[in-house]
Amino acid sequence: MKKMILIFVICALLLVSLAVWALRGKVAGNALELLETGVIFILVGFAFFLGLSRVRSHLRKEPSEDEMSKRVMTKTSSLAFYVSIYLWLFIMYISDRITLPTHSLIGAGIMGMALVFLFSWLYVKAAGMRNE
Amino acid sequence: MNNRIRELRARLDLSQLELAQRVGVRRETIVFLEKGKYNPSLRLAHDIARTFALPIEEVFCFDDGSRP
Repeated sequence: MKKMILIFVICALLLVSLAVWALRGKVAGNALELLETGVIFILVGFAFFLGLSRVRSHLRKEPSEDEMSKRVMTKTSSLAFYVSIYLWLFIMYISDRITLPTHSLIGAGIMGMALVFLFSWLYVKAAGMRNE
Repeated sequence: MNNRIRELRARLDLSQLELAQRVGVRRETIVFLEKGKYNPSLRLAHDIARTFALPIEEVFCFDDGSRP
């Protein structure tokens, strides 16, 4: 239950900060910002989906977590961590070749890690977990 | 690892949700088990077999080709 609430609070915080950022008129409207906003919406959608599936389980009187969902998360996390190392290596490599402020590169890296987590989760769900 | 969960569940006229509630897991876990996309822990395999009143080896069976 606590995790369920936490997921929705984080989603709300992200959306509120995005709205505040937009309302304060700091939006340049360039392609990079549009891309960042799109990625944030995808990640919020993913978190919202996870939260909603927990709510549905709660309503059906199922455990919100069981051995399979824990194993899915463990495998997803380890896979995402492994891929993220290469993502940061790539960012380090391109940081010498493009002119972007450090905070943008770090922001891109963090969002990239979240996207890697999303794709790892989709992969683990699609491939299943046999013979482990 | 293969299993006969779908067949045994149909024989007892149990829904996936009912079986999930009996063994204390999410319905999604039963879906994954029936599709053969997940190998259960010994505890879960035992609980499922007990629900069907059968020994584990009659519900779950290993095929040698699946050995990692």
